[in-house]
Amino acid sequence: MIFDTALILDSIPKMLFGIGLTFQLLFLSAALGLVLAIILLLMRISGRWYLSAPTMVYIYIFRGTPILVQIFIIYYGLPQLEFVRDSVFWPILREPFGCAILALTLNTGAYVSEILRGGVLGVDRGLKEAGAALGLSARHRFIYITTPIAIRLALPAYSNDVISLMKSTALASTITLLDMMGIARTIVAETYAPYEIFISLMIIYLALTWMIQRSFGWIEKRMSRYVRSEA
Amino acid sequence: MEAITGWWDDFFWGSVAVARIFVTALILTVLFGLIGAGAKLSKSRVAKSIAGGYTVVFRGTPEILVLLLFYFGSAVTLTAIAQAFDPEIKFVDIPPFWAGSLAIALIVGAYATETFRGAFLGVDPGQIEASRALGLSNLQTFIYVRIPAMWRLALPPFGNHMLSLIKDTALISIIGLQETLFVAEQAIGTTGKPFTMYILVGAIYLGFSTIITLSVMVLEKYANRHLEVGR
Amino acid sequence: MGDGDPANIIELENVDKFFGAFQALKNVSLSVKKGERIVVCGPSGSGKSTLIRCINRLEEHDSGKIVVNGHELTGAVKDIDAVRSEVGMVFQSFNLFPHLTIIKNLMLAPRLVRKSSKSEARDTAMKYLERVKIPEQADKYPSQLSGGQQQRVAIARALCMNPLVMLFDEPTSALDPEMISEVLEVMTDLAREGMTMICVTHEMGFARSVADNVVFMDNGEIVESNPPDAFFEAPKNERTKLFLSQILSH
Repeated sequence: MIFDTALILDSIPKMLFGIGLTFQLLFLSAALGLVLAIILLLMRISGRWYLSAPTMVYIYIFRGTPILVQIFIIYYGLPQLEFVRDSVFWPILREPFGCAILALTLNTGAYVSEILRGGVLGVDRGLKEAGAALGLSARHRFIYITTPIAIRLALPAYSNDVISLMKSTALASTITLLDMMGIARTIVAETYAPYEIFISLMIIYLALTWMIQRSFGWIEKRMSRYVRSEA
Repeated sequence: MEAITGWWDDFFWGSVAVARIFVTALILTVLFGLIGAGAKLSKSRVAKSIAGGYTVVFRGTPEILVLLLFYFGSAVTLTAIAQAFDPEIKFVDIPPFWAGSLAIALIVGAYATETFRGAFLGVDPGQIEASRALGLSNLQTFIYVRIPAMWRLALPPFGNHMLSLIKDTALISIIGLQETLFVAEQAIGTTGKPFTMYILVGAIYLGFSTIITLSVMVLEKYANRHLEVGR
Repeated sequence: MGDGDPANIIELENVDKFFGAFQALKNVSLSVKKGERIVVCGPSGSGKSTLIRCINRLEEHDSGKIVVNGHELTGAVKDIDAVRSEVGMVFQSFNLFPHLTIIKNLMLAPRLVRKSSKSEARDTAMKYLERVKIPEQADKYPSQLSGGQQQRVAIARALCMNPLVMLFDEPTSALDPEMISEVLEVMTDLAREGMTMICVTHEMGFARSVADNVVFMDNGEIVESNPPDAFFEAPKNERTKLFLSQILSH
């Protein structure tokens, strides 16, 4: 079996053409998802049942169903509903890009809020008590003690989620978007050369993963400079 | 809702397909995870690098890409081989069931490798020392001390791997496996109700995740029953 | 306000505290005058930590009355924060904020609670760091300091709020033996300067030399309370005698 290197060299630039869309999907969903996650987190730990219960249900649904199904519901399913077609959001929801962003955001928001919650729960009780003993109000304790430490604790898991999010952007190709995956699939459909195309694409994704990991590793290192490193 | 009548049967069999894939992939995942962890923990540099490459590649590549590469790649290869024998043959593929199970098992197996590896490393070395001091052989120590300690540590994260597996089965519909998403697409063709159908698929998967989550909770209770003493 | 003696800065009357079915404090009454130094001792599980944690409401008592500097401890939030800023606490596990430098650890509460300016807070912080004899560590992080140093920082941090009372919850129990004396020294100096303190500790030497009153707790109750000479030389209660024989024998 020969590798058609000419094909590879020809296709890589074409696929990289889609990297812009991949990045848009990634950064936009990550940013919006993070905002959503923080809102969900605050609702979840608010102690008020009418805030935390719906949040728990939301997280449960979005973590318990495949993201592909979520994408299909939003892109193919919502147009079935009249009130969606009539709503002010219709221009966004009609487009595959808007639907993809919405699906990815809702999905990552659920996961990240749980990750943040894990960070918050991981803050040593003694530190919060020390804050209380000094007379710091609950709000002050949360902002100045819990939050900085929780962020550091949540960082590894969060970096994993960002990588997952990047991999999920490839699913946008199933609703006609021409990100890298979408372009790759069209090339393969024309050339019947899955190995060359898909393996090259795999390498591109691996490079992206590596870059994300390096970035987070750097951030983690900076944040952990005060933590016991040796001994 | 009436739109679904007539399709219940098909959705049922689609769910059965999901269950069958899940079980098959689960067994393979545990296998790949144990082999991978074993390789990473071994002294052999070769084994470590291969396992290292395995985890990097399969955790950093979008699932849909792995799936398509497997399916179309193997199809192209098999077709080429078959055509060498009989030029009349147009297309030979691995049944989507096996291509799909193998692909998702390899992906989740990469995560399981890390989980199992961490769990093995997390076993209290003091227990191993005590066991050796009592005269147990390496194999006995492995079976009666290491494994019991290790699977308890691995259980919570492995529960998450199982959830990933069940959700990844939805992707296999893309290569033609007749599971629930595939059935939904056919149903939409005749009923024109994408929202209803996809929500139903979501509900089915939610049902599966709930069963898995509950099972893991029961297992965790069982695993930790020896810790309940006192208080 | 309570009917107790106004010279009492802390007053506990008939306090009960339950953790589920387990009763940690049984009808405990205690008065602490301004300037008094109290050492609380007893076997583990006797309720001594619970006692002082109720004073700054890290634990909530279930019945009875607790009055701290004129504030009665109930559920009202304003009161709790006010009480806590006047009562300093030092924990067994130091609980320094790992993400802040030493000086920032000391400056945080004064700036947020007393609304001190940055320079005021910094001056106060450096003053107390010198008091505990480690001013040069100001810009380090807690993880870079030894246990004894961290605990001294914790004491300084509590002092920066200018508390009326200092509570110590087994301050030396988590320290390696060679670091215990540096912390006890700081506490002894504090006592000599007239700080009102309640100290839960096993350090009987410290109790003998510094305490005005030694309180022995067992099983949630105050069994005996006496000035150190009487306490150590002539314990009245059988349980006190038993405890003393156990801890003083080695």
